[in-house]
Amino acid sequence: MFELLGAGLANLMQVKYLVPLALGTLAGIVGGALPGVTITMTIIVVLPFTFGLDPLQGLAAMTGVYVGGSAGGLVTAVLLGIPGTPSAIATTFDGHPMARNGEPGRAVWLGIWASVFGGMLGGVFLIGATGPLAAFALQFGPWEFFSLFVLALSMVAGLVESSVLKGLLSGALGLVVTILGSDPVMGRERLTLGVPFLEGGVPFLPVLIGVFAFAQIMSEVERAGGVERAAQGAQRALSLAASHVKVLWEIVSRPFLVLWASFIGVLIGVLPAIGGSAANMMAYDQAKKFSRRPEKFGTGIPEGVIASEAANNANVGGSLVTIMAFGIPGDAVTAVMLGALTIHGIQSGPLFILQNAQLAYGIFAAYLIAHLLMVVILAVGARWMLRVVTVPKAALFPAVLVLCTVGAYALNNTMANVYILLTFGLLGYAMVKTGFPLAPFILGVILGDQIEINLIRAIMTDADPWLFLTRPISGLLIAASVASVVFALWQHRRQQRRLAQRADGDADF
Amino acid sequence: MKKLVAGFAVALLPVAALAQFPDRPIKLIVPWAAGGDTDNIFRPFAPLMQKHIGQPVVIANVGGASGTKGAKEAKDSPPDGYTIYGMHDYIHSTYYTGVSDVNYTDFETVCLVSSTPSVLTGSPKTPWNDWKSLLADAKARPGQISVGATLGSTSHFFPALIEKAAGIKFKYVSYEGLAPRMNAILGGHIDLTDANLTQKGKVEAGQLKFFGIATEKRNAEMPNVPTLKELGVDVVYDVNRGLMAPKGTPEAVLAKLAAACAATVKEPAFAESMKKQATDVRYMDRKQYAAWLKQNDDLNRNLAKELGLSKR
Amino acid sequence: MLGRDGWAGLAVLTASLVLFGLTLGLEGNPMVPIGPGFYPRIVLGVTAVLAAALVIADSLASKRRAPPRGASDYGLVASMFALFGLYAGALSFLGFRLSTLLYVAAANALLAPPRSARGWARVALVALLTTVVVYLAFERYLLVLLPRGRWTGF
Repeated sequence: MFELLGAGLANLMQVKYLVPLALGTLAGIVGGALPGVTITMTIIVVLPFTFGLDPLQGLAAMTGVYVGGSAGGLVTAVLLGIPGTPSAIATTFDGHPMARNGEPGRAVWLGIWASVFGGMLGGVFLIGATGPLAAFALQFGPWEFFSLFVLALSMVAGLVESSVLKGLLSGALGLVVTILGSDPVMGRERLTLGVPFLEGGVPFLPVLIGVFAFAQIMSEVERAGGVERAAQGAQRALSLAASHVKVLWEIVSRPFLVLWASFIGVLIGVLPAIGGSAANMMAYDQAKKFSRRPEKFGTGIPEGVIASEAANNANVGGSLVTIMAFGIPGDAVTAVMLGALTIHGIQSGPLFILQNAQLAYGIFAAYLIAHLLMVVILAVGARWMLRVVTVPKAALFPAVLVLCTVGAYALNNTMANVYILLTFGLLGYAMVKTGFPLAPFILGVILGDQIEINLIRAIMTDADPWLFLTRPISGLLIAASVASVVFALWQHRRQQRRLAQRADGDADF
Repeated sequence: MKKLVAGFAVALLPVAALAQFPDRPIKLIVPWAAGGDTDNIFRPFAPLMQKHIGQPVVIANVGGASGTKGAKEAKDSPPDGYTIYGMHDYIHSTYYTGVSDVNYTDFETVCLVSSTPSVLTGSPKTPWNDWKSLLADAKARPGQISVGATLGSTSHFFPALIEKAAGIKFKYVSYEGLAPRMNAILGGHIDLTDANLTQKGKVEAGQLKFFGIATEKRNAEMPNVPTLKELGVDVVYDVNRGLMAPKGTPEAVLAKLAAACAATVKEPAFAESMKKQATDVRYMDRKQYAAWLKQNDDLNRNLAKELGLSKR
Repeated sequence: MLGRDGWAGLAVLTASLVLFGLTLGLEGNPMVPIGPGFYPRIVLGVTAVLAAALVIADSLASKRRAPPRGASDYGLVASMFALFGLYAGALSFLGFRLSTLLYVAAANALLAPPRSARGWARVALVALLTTVVVYLAFERYLLVLLPRGRWTGF
């Protein structure tokens, strides 16, 4: 394994991989730093560029975006108090006060170094766990895959904050999208509704790009310039000097905090489609609970920054494990990476690491090197970051939408994908406006065909439907998915009761 | 007005194309995912053809629905020579089994490129060590041995021919494309599948079993694999791949494409990369290829009928 | 009385029932033991049940909080969508280069209306730069083919 990793690192050090990786990391940092541009959107924009590259170049660029994006958000979060990306929300809580207290350099570098530590711990897990998990997944027949996908979907649907019912419905709608157009087994047309571009079925990448890009951009357009005004108020140049030794000591002297935050990050990353926005909040919450001075949180203390930033970078490692071992995207970003793999004809799933060892270890290596590149890029460029953040949205958004169009079109060179992009852009915006969560929907679209294919394969292999429950792994997975929905309902009920009580009495905390 | 302008443009197209074809990149539609067998054959082909035609040849993978999605798209592309299509024998079988309405007659031939013999391949978790024990078991348990196949395509026809020749019955499970079939067969979730000699490495590592190759003579690369004929199963089957262009492509453009194709097929570098794909280079010019396709089409029509898969 | 969720649920319920009706006409294939309508019917059934539950839950909810309203510019959103729709439609007729140039210029002018000649120069520059950079990067450098215009051949 270490030999392979060494070879992977050596391989990645070639200019032809280092350049896309560095550019990807830079794009991630910039995209992460721009308020209103998420990591997902950045990776969507980068996607079409990877079509013309070789697979490892493309994936290195994407890994760079992923790693860089998780860190880029922190600069804006600290200096402006606006999270550059949702995975830096908790960083604003303590990072921004610290910067206002006259220590912007300390706050930024605490975040950067905490990201590196969290990322490295996530990397250890990534490299150690992917192989064994993949070997385990090879035992999976169609029954197990069916049950695993159902579990993934019900778990995500249950974990949304707002309403479990809406989460489930959102996931179901995602599945409905995949039954339109053609059946995945024989390719016969079905439910095309007379729409010609639906004939071949709905590919998931244009749907994903449409839903996320439009939901995001239109929500910004609707607010018309709110962000730009905030950014303009900030100082354009300020010193970010800080003692690295001191900052590093602040992190290293809190090993438990770093480990625990990274663990939470990895765990959330492994769970499908939740992503960094949940990881940083949960880690921050945990850090506060375990702290000896919880009342100080929010005033600009290092613990808050460390917890949030370690968690969101560790989360990246966790997500990469799920996609490499099981072929299930850990979040929207890895879903785009899954698409990039498919375009290059690489089958993700249990055989991925065996059959594409060079590529798999290349991704591991890219993940590790991206963290170093991130530090270098931020060390050089952090002071200009604010200038980048003030790029006018009026020029940025049309360009982003053009790149989304290129990405959708070039996927298989058909205009149908562009129409799908627009259709689902409208739907995505409507879903945001009506409070339906996007994550379960997207996961439904991604897994729908696989769920159907595996269901039919299972029945073709053996006509006995009880096998879904009687095969031990499959049965366990089905039980877990039922349990996850029941748990979500119970938790939601409890939360509502608490809210109701709080409304009755007075808010005492 | 729209129609008028569009019609005018279409009328102008062949003339413009004739003038200096090709003056921009050519799109080669491969109707399967990248990394599949067909893609592996046209990937090394494209840059070599680019050398001979003087413009980039860009592969567009349009996979899905047993390869018929790409076929449909190729058929609907403008017949100007800027879209060509990498086809194989599935076009006949998917037509006659009713998977798709596109047939080879919707295209003009450019040239035949390669031919890959099929090999009957088994999972390492199966109890059989050779064809004899497999046959005995198949006779004892008709309809119980599972075969992974792209339904209605060549990987379905090949085992179906074996069924007929040996008087046995398999059970088919839908696994579209070689890659998912490999996943399932390594994990033991299906018993048999149609593969080719590219899987040689896995057989030598004990991860797969080869039962017989569907050629007239044993292959020099793996002489210990018996031919199905030797085993008493009279089946010779290979998958042939060639280039096509949409019907109506001007003759002069076709001639240019065909000349570039012929020169590419004869490149030693192409032969070298085909060897890695366990594939024979098999060239035919436009006329020969067209005649051969017609013959092959009759063969497939009869096959589909005999195997009870015909929908036409 | 129904709220926002209730109407959304009702819409989904109707759609899934209509689609469910359509699946009944699907023909099976002798090669596959279960027909192409089998799985869609499961999915649509589940969707319909969930949507019905949402409608019921919404109509039972007694208290209804008014959604927080900010100053939202829905007109701008609608025109941005319309503009993108035109762009998507124009691509196959005018080709990538021409329609992108027009689209970026229009979208840029819409989002930041130019008030002077300098403003229009900025719009033109943004549109030209975006189009040229994207076109060169993809078609020339990365060999990703972009749509050609049916009318223009360009």
